[in-house]
Amino acid sequence: MIETAPLAASEARLESPAVLVEGLRKTFRVARHHRGALAAVRNLLDRRVTEVRAVDGVSFRIARGEMVGCLGPNGAGKSTTIKMLTGILHPTAGRVEVLGVSPQRQRKAVARRIGVVFGQRTQLWWDLPLIESLDLLRHIYRVPAARYAAALDAFRALLDLDPFLNTPVRQLSLGQRMRGDLAAALLHDPEILYLDEPTIGLDVVAKHRIRDFLRQINRERGVTVLLTTHDMADVEQLCSRLLIIDHGRLLYDGGLAEIRDRLGRERTLVVDLAEDGAPPAGPLRVPHAREVKADGPRRWLRFSRDETSAADLIAAVAGRYRLRDLTIEEPEIEAIVRRIYEQGL
Amino acid sequence: MSPGESWRLYWLLVGASTRAQMQYKTSFVLATVGTFAANIVEFGAVLVLYGRIPDLAGWTFGEVAMLWGMSAVSFAIADMVATGFDLLPDTIRLGTFDRVLIRPLGAFFQTLATTLTLRRVGRIAQGVVVFAIGQSQLHLVWTPDRLAMLALALLSGAAIFFAIFVLGAAYAFWTVEGRELMNTFTYGGTTMASYPLDIFQDWLRRLVTFVLPLAFVNYYPALYILDRPDPLGLPPATGWLAPVAAAAVCAAAGFAWSAGVRRYQSTGS
Amino acid sequence: MRVYYEVARRAFQRELVYRTRNLAGLFTNACFGYLRAVPLLAAFQGRPEIAGYDLDEALTWNWVVQALIMVIALWGWWDVEATVRSGDVVSDLARPISFLGYWLARDYGRALYYILFRCLPILLVGQLLFGLRWPQRAETWLLLALSLILAVAISFAFRFMLNLSAFWTTDARGLGSLALIACTFFSGFLIPISFFPSGLRAVTALLPFAGMIQTPADVFLERLNGAALAGALLLQAFWALALLGAAQGLIALATRRVVVQGG
Repeated sequence: MIETAPLAASEARLESPAVLVEGLRKTFRVARHHRGALAAVRNLLDRRVTEVRAVDGVSFRIARGEMVGCLGPNGAGKSTTIKMLTGILHPTAGRVEVLGVSPQRQRKAVARRIGVVFGQRTQLWWDLPLIESLDLLRHIYRVPAARYAAALDAFRALLDLDPFLNTPVRQLSLGQRMRGDLAAALLHDPEILYLDEPTIGLDVVAKHRIRDFLRQINRERGVTVLLTTHDMADVEQLCSRLLIIDHGRLLYDGGLAEIRDRLGRERTLVVDLAEDGAPPAGPLRVPHAREVKADGPRRWLRFSRDETSAADLIAAVAGRYRLRDLTIEEPEIEAIVRRIYEQGL
Repeated sequence: MSPGESWRLYWLLVGASTRAQMQYKTSFVLATVGTFAANIVEFGAVLVLYGRIPDLAGWTFGEVAMLWGMSAVSFAIADMVATGFDLLPDTIRLGTFDRVLIRPLGAFFQTLATTLTLRRVGRIAQGVVVFAIGQSQLHLVWTPDRLAMLALALLSGAAIFFAIFVLGAAYAFWTVEGRELMNTFTYGGTTMASYPLDIFQDWLRRLVTFVLPLAFVNYYPALYILDRPDPLGLPPATGWLAPVAAAAVCAAAGFAWSAGVRRYQSTGS
Repeated sequence: MRVYYEVARRAFQRELVYRTRNLAGLFTNACFGYLRAVPLLAAFQGRPEIAGYDLDEALTWNWVVQALIMVIALWGWWDVEATVRSGDVVSDLARPISFLGYWLARDYGRALYYILFRCLPILLVGQLLFGLRWPQRAETWLLLALSLILAVAISFAFRFMLNLSAFWTTDARGLGSLALIACTFFSGFLIPISFFPSGLRAVTALLPFAGMIQTPADVFLERLNGAALAGALLLQAFWALALLGAAQGLIALATRRVVVQGG
């Protein structure tokens, strides 16, 4: 973190959130579109517009150093919200403050302190080697030479950039390009990092690498991270907090554990039956639980926390059957979130 | 950012793009030759015409060549520098304009620093050649005031064409169909400026003198240099107003651009 | 035969979709028509004729060539080159219909759109602004149709071969645009071929480019009669066949190259 002010002021800033959003609204006015015969003429003459509320009264705060995930179906308003946080779009109503400053009024000042990675579009210069892009960005963000050298060394190690540092960006694989974009976004030591679908299209190994990197910079440099994603694994592995947006509204704002507690009523006990002796005929019979899947000696028992606790159920199963091993599966965030999209909270 | 820093950053960014262009060497050479050839061929039509008639509305071949050359050089300089603005409709359409707003630099500066199209040098060369051909027919005495007028005209002309490019780009913030319209004004502008404005109707002449000051790119400066009277009745010193005209149209372009960026930020792409 | 008709029809419909773009293009065309007409007015001041054209004919020539630009696609078109670069051309070549015929049909569909929606409106604008010299003989319209069909064929074959050069060079567009520049000059688009100095005129009149613009324009203006008219049309037909034949030969060479080298 960059400490550029005397202690008293920085203490005050530590109190203030990294991102503050209040009653944020963004309405797009879309011209009515006609089809069919004489469409062109009717389009010209019909000046009525439809109002589309892309973001409809969203409020939340993100404290410094938090890593927050933002989920929502396509068209939910996630990207629009991020665009307002970065200064690309101006809100129709409501308040946005990033690091205490309005991105609308002071776009460049905010730009200096944030980093952005778009999953599907690159920040880098297409025809030039990666290192040249990074060098140009250094000048654009006015990073002092010593700090640039240190940052570059760090990222080369953390993101393993050396194999393709001198390759033109257009020749990079998606995973390599993403790592390049991450280095580019963090080169100027921003306090906040926005990521828009950072792991989209990547293979498993690449995803792990990116997630490890994000965890590290969040932990070691205190970078506040806000990432939008469709990948539940991203959320589960990285985020302590989750924002769910749909139809421009914030449906949920809280931790993962809370969401499981509140909505994930059902858990699954997976038992491995001891292989000596005859296997029980048919599904296992245990009160307050039902077998939902069987694969040889391995059985999946679903139970509701309302009816029994995990400890009681284990005792009940162990009492009836000989077990070799067992484990508890938490409810899938994916399923919970899907339910939220479909049914609301 | 201080002007010195901005200047250096401009050259860094433009240099990067030029390096990228230079990767395709043969294309570059071909394109430069092509630009030269295309414009020579257009002038060829004028040559052929003058093979048949001694003068066009009282303007000799040498005089028309002078106009042509001046217009070509001014336009080519502007075209070279303003390529980023020419490409803006595509930038918006592809969604890469967002990248500009993420960075701690002005949108205008970044668009300006996108690239320099070096192959336009072909057209500058062509303009100079045509101008020289004209001079060989004219036998003008180049007094200091005439030289000054020429230099002023070329710079102001480049600024005027540059402003037209910026206006065209700003228009793209309202509708992506602006490309065609902008081409009409830029290429139409050079076509008009390639001929003595006497030949055009009064209403058009007034339009390009007082509204979109194309007349100051080469016509009024040429009237001064050639000691010719103005059919509209303006004094011979009018040519010296070229920088004023350029400043006015550049200011208008600046306003249009700011308004355009604001519009982009309120309506998205 | 039916297939080619369908291809042409679809190409026609494809153009219909781009209404705003084509309207803007029409505006640009009209503007340039006007900007090029004015110098002609100035040139004819105090002169009744230049190189055998009177003012009315020259003005008409100006608007006719403007009207024809998009029909002939004088600035070029690169659809085939794009398929070569993307590799799609390989599957196109493998299809059971004639590769040349397919693209020719598409070009005719496209050309028909521009005859209806660019050519006619531009001529109307010219008529409104300056008054044109319209054909006075009924058979001129038929001859014009024939001349246009041949002109499109010549232009198509030329553009098509420029596109095919993509099989042998990475910068087909760069080379092609040089060729097209020559085209604009020698086709009589920038200035009527009659204006050229005598030696150049004789050579230019025999080149295929004249058949793209000058000949249809001359037919419209009814400047050619009897033997001269027949000669011009036959020359168009000759070039159309020759260039189409050359194009077909080039396709064979390209196909061989694909087979040998892979996609």
